Amino acid sequence: MPVRRLAITFAIILPLLALLAYGFFRDPRYIPSPLVGKPAPAFSLQLFSGEKIDVSALRGKVVFINFWASWCPPCIAEAKELESAWRRLKDQDVVFIGVEIQDTEANGRGFVKEFGITYPNGADPTGKIPIDYGVWGIPESFFVDPDGRIVYKHVGAIGPALVEAKSAEARRRIMTTKEGKGEYQSIR
Amino acid sequence: MSGEKLTKILVALLLALLTPHLLTYSLSAAAQAPDIEQQTHEIAAELRCPVCQNLSVADSPSELAVQMRASIEEQLRQGKSPDEVKQFFVSKYGDWVLLAPPAKGFNLLLWLSPAIAALCGVILVGFAIRRWARKRATQAADPAALQAPAGEDRRDFLVGEQARLEAEMKELDFDFQAGKLSDADYAALSGELKLQAAGVAKQITAMPQHALQPPALEHAKPRTTAAATERRGLRNWQLATGAAFLLLLGLGLGVLLTQSVRSRDSGDTMTGDFLTGTQAAGPQEATLARGRAAIEKGDFPQAIEAFKQVLTSDPNNPEALSYMGIMLSQAGHSDGALTAFDRALAADPNFPLALWGKGMLLYRSGGDQAEARRLLEKVSGMMPAGPEKTELENVLSQMSQSPAAAKSAAAKPETAAKSAAGSATRTGQIEGIIDVDAKLKANLDARAVLFIIARPSRGGGPPLAVKKIPAPKFPFSYSLSAQDVMMPGAVFSGKLYVTARLDKDGDPLTQSPEDLAGEYNKNPVEVGSKRIDILLAPARSQAR
Repeated sequence: MPVRRLAITFAIILPLLALLAYGFFRDPRYIPSPLVGKPAPAFSLQLFSGEKIDVSALRGKVVFINFWASWCPPCIAEAKELESAWRRLKDQDVVFIGVEIQDTEANGRGFVKEFGITYPNGADPTGKIPIDYGVWGIPESFFVDPDGRIVYKHVGAIGPALVEAKSAEARRRIMTTKEGKGEYQSIR
Repeated sequence: MSGEKLTKILVALLLALLTPHLLTYSLSAAAQAPDIEQQTHEIAAELRCPVCQNLSVADSPSELAVQMRASIEEQLRQGKSPDEVKQFFVSKYGDWVLLAPPAKGFNLLLWLSPAIAALCGVILVGFAIRRWARKRATQAADPAALQAPAGEDRRDFLVGEQARLEAEMKELDFDFQAGKLSDADYAALSGELKLQAAGVAKQITAMPQHALQPPALEHAKPRTTAAATERRGLRNWQLATGAAFLLLLGLGLGVLLTQSVRSRDSGDTMTGDFLTGTQAAGPQEATLARGRAAIEKGDFPQAIEAFKQVLTSDPNNPEALSYMGIMLSQAGHSDGALTAFDRALAADPNFPLALWGKGMLLYRSGGDQAEARRLLEKVSGMMPAGPEKTELENVLSQMSQSPAAAKSAAAKPETAAKSAAGSATRTGQIEGIIDVDAKLKANLDARAVLFIIARPSRGGGPPLAVKKIPAPKFPFSYSLSAQDVMMPGAVFSGKLYVTARLDKDGDPLTQSPEDLAGEYNKNPVEVGSKRIDILLAPARSQAR
């Protein structure tokens, strides 16, 4: 009798514990993006330089899109590294676009000046572009292949080695469904 | 025993957890309106804010949530359906973004878990009840059998039991003789003991005959039977109380939790004032809006009903009081109107509608002209430029043109009223006789008040002029002139619809079936006409 009772108790408690454990081992804030493998949403961005850039006009090139804000520490951490990656990649048909979100344009201009960023950057005060890209964390980076398809998404600060590697993969249209996560993420 | 306890605890937990869950389903059907702002709120309330923890887009103050709300509104204005808007966000953020995820795949477990848990609970309760019932049944039939071991030990046990029962019997006799027990208690307890002893004896004789050992008295553990029976009796009502308490807890949680976790509008309180009885801000604003709309349509009974409803929950609502005051003053009840305006101003000394209403009323009725002027100037300072402000400025300039009237107003209200009315264009009068059906004349109420009303449009609509005659003698000959105009500045001219009403209780805002009404049968009439005679008949038969 006690054996049966014990078995029943465990049969009830174990699945509940397993469910609890599954819940604890997941990051509740992490949002898996349904956009990887899908065409990159088109947008045009008014740049700080005054020019306008249109993403749909960049077919045939690898596009690296980085969403950032001046107040976000991981963005500050990755800023110089992105600039160095850009200097190495800009002659290889890779286009970098920085989209400043949830921030003021003045702060954005100050940030670009402070870190000596030379790749195209602009502010989206309406937040339409980040919503179109399902952005939830800052910074977030997207790699778009020459066919205009999102092949890789990275949440959190990204290093120059990874940017170069993923750009090379994007040129060969290799898709990584598993999203990258930077160790250093802004506190949300 | 520990297993039984576990069962009970599980049952209790399940009941407490499930009741609110089940109630949520029945209570969550919310009223819907196609208004875009409200739709935006409804959609936002169903979306999870991506940068928050367990907050909806509607509730989150984060910048992303603000931008998402703007996006929802924009998409709705573009003509997208709420489902399409939600689908847009799902395509960007995945099912994650829905606070109520679709019932498929792993999520199915989430949706089914309440039902599964309920089923488990029912099964557990069923098992527990069956076990209790069986235990009681065996105890009643054979009290010793359940605890009795089998085989050779059984004989010892039974013999020991017999000895215990005998000892208890003796103890009981002793207690009874000592007067500690009543006759009835003694009879009941000894009867039960004898029954148990008989059962034990029967089992001993049924066993294979060995040498029956004499009862070993040291085995017997003397217990007080009274306490034992009392404990058993106690268990039933303890269980019942426990069950009732659990049910109450479940219901309480169900009501309070669903009240506190439902989606709320701003200004709505946590409990929806479920306990305090005051209405939440939302419905009251809606009632006020209904009243305003009714006034614009000229549907005064509807407006009065709406404002009264507001005043029952918020007796000092300045807007409802002001509108009531305006309607009262239009109906000729200056005293009531003045009280209403004063109450509105007591609640909010700068409420423009009350300032305007009281100012106009004082000015028109020849009351305190200085006060009227002060009020109207105050409201004029608050008003945006427009035709209404121009009208008000005209009135103010007329007031300053006749300072004599203002000075003498307090002493001679009649003159002031005349001079005020004089500012309206004096173009003539409407005269006639009002009579009541001969059959009804005998039953007239002495308190009845006659209202003669001239409106620029048929049916409802604000009256241009009203005359109020308390206790009229029929046939009553009347004349309506510029003096009876409701608001200064209005011109008493053109074609007017003349009606009359004999109000039984003198309050035009209430309508009693005994009220009499009538209208001139060749309406509309030109100002200046004579012999505009009206015959009053029961109001019910009149088409309003």
